[in-house]
Amino acid sequence: MSRTFVEMAGRRLSLSNLEKDLYASYGFTKAHVLEYYRRIAPLILPHLKDRALTFKRYPEGVEKDFFFEKRCPSHRPAWVKTAEIPQDDGEQMTVCLVNDLETLIWAENLASVELHVPLARASSPETPDSMVFDLDPGDQAGIPECARVALILRDLLSRTGLASYVKTSGKKGLHVYVPLNRKETTFEDTKTFSKAVAGIMQKHYPDRVTARMAKKERDAKIFINWSQNDASKTMVCVYSLRAREKPIVSFPLEWRELENPAELGDPERLQVTHSEALNRAEEKGDLFREVLVKEQKLPHL
Amino acid sequence: MAVQGIWSGTISFSLVAIPVRLVKAIEPGRISFRLLHSKDYSPLARRMFCPEEETMVPRDEIIRGYEIVPNQYVLMTDEELESVSPERSRTIEIVDFIDMKEVDPVYYDHPYYLVPSKGGEKAYRLLVEVMRRTNKAGLAKFVLAEREYLVAVTSRDGALALTTLHYSEEILADEDLSPKKGKTAAEEQNRMKKSIERMIENFDPGKYADKRRKKLTDLLATKAKEKAPVEAPVVEQEEGAGPADLVAALEESMRKVKPR
Repeated sequence: MSRTFVEMAGRRLSLSNLEKDLYASYGFTKAHVLEYYRRIAPLILPHLKDRALTFKRYPEGVEKDFFFEKRCPSHRPAWVKTAEIPQDDGEQMTVCLVNDLETLIWAENLASVELHVPLARASSPETPDSMVFDLDPGDQAGIPECARVALILRDLLSRTGLASYVKTSGKKGLHVYVPLNRKETTFEDTKTFSKAVAGIMQKHYPDRVTARMAKKERDAKIFINWSQNDASKTMVCVYSLRAREKPIVSFPLEWRELENPAELGDPERLQVTHSEALNRAEEKGDLFREVLVKEQKLPHL
Repeated sequence: MAVQGIWSGTISFSLVAIPVRLVKAIEPGRISFRLLHSKDYSPLARRMFCPEEETMVPRDEIIRGYEIVPNQYVLMTDEELESVSPERSRTIEIVDFIDMKEVDPVYYDHPYYLVPSKGGEKAYRLLVEVMRRTNKAGLAKFVLAEREYLVAVTSRDGALALTTLHYSEEILADEDLSPKKGKTAAEEQNRMKKSIERMIENFDPGKYADKRRKKLTDLLATKAKEKAPVEAPVVEQEEGAGPADLVAALEESMRKVKPR
């Protein structure tokens, strides 16, 4: 095993096996993964901050087995910030908070290619600061169909006075976020609201939308997964890499990118790779900034 | 006290199967020492040394050989060794019941206890009681740490005791040890018998202590109190020319592999 020692902000980090091919068919090593996260850090860190990180680790690369790790490894350096999260069984669990570059690099050194976080912060695990609609296309549907449903959803939400923001899942789907950032909101509120919205969408667009989990009902439809609005669920963090053949990023889009059919014509356009992500980030800044700060109140249904 | 089991499974004979855990009955009281480097108190590591090449041998260059005559070896791979190792036992299957008095203590190897696992308490108590009444020991074969043992299970103080036994081929022949047969005078025999009878006592293991161990622990306690213990230096893992900057380290690594 090769080891490289680095010093960051006075903290020593031991990086292991930097030459390991994590995206083997793409020739993207652990060093490339670390480099991507180092450069995207200014944008991703605010979205990871104070949230219980779920590691999705691919020690042998994205084509091999992975495992989820919610508990913060006990072999963590002393400076990694942690929080205690109550679990269903009443026990406390120690989780990692990725609040700085050093912790991000440390987590990536554990081959945590994907970073997943809950919709609530660790200090207020019952208060979602956004509501999410996870749009997941069935086998016969693709990004163009998904984009159309996302736009309808955006319009429906805006008629209730709610602004929404969209990012690619980094796989086939889209994630629509509604910022709330009010301490009065509960997961019960967001679950009830999102379920109702998904139901309305299914009722009015039965050939395009399903609000049911069953895979066979999806086909050419888009499944609006509202059940992610739960304290126990996590979403892949915006700007996180996904474990696919290529290093694709879950990346925020401008709504007009979905409106322009010419751009949609090339589905690849909405598969944002690591290098494109860095270029876009430099050009546009954080398109998901509002998700963290915009205060919105869920209207009564 | 929660005893940690070193094995768990079931003990069974005929139609009874009781979930149990195997726990140690003894903890040898040896006090062990770490070897340190006198200059800086670093704990020393073992390394394999090749006297021929006068060099340390890395782990992946080490293989196993059985010496048949001096300097001639039959090589044995891990796989070959594995192929003759027994499968781990899930059960201790009692095949015979014997009278423990028939077993020469020279066969006794290592003592353990079997304690009941959850749900097995009632059947366990029954077996303990019945074995106590019949005063028999159950014989079983059982695999522990890749070796198959012959074991004797007995009832002792309300619990099941398990003793691994040596195989007969491990027992050294004792015919040569006893002197040639000859007559001894009856008078001498009686005299010796009397002196033995005068010395008869009940066995009380608490009366005898490992004196060296006691002295050694006392000495360690005194020394620890008198003078602060020496401290090993903080070990920096093998590293090159000191810590690098993250960007430099990543660039250095990426130069070696270009993305396709």
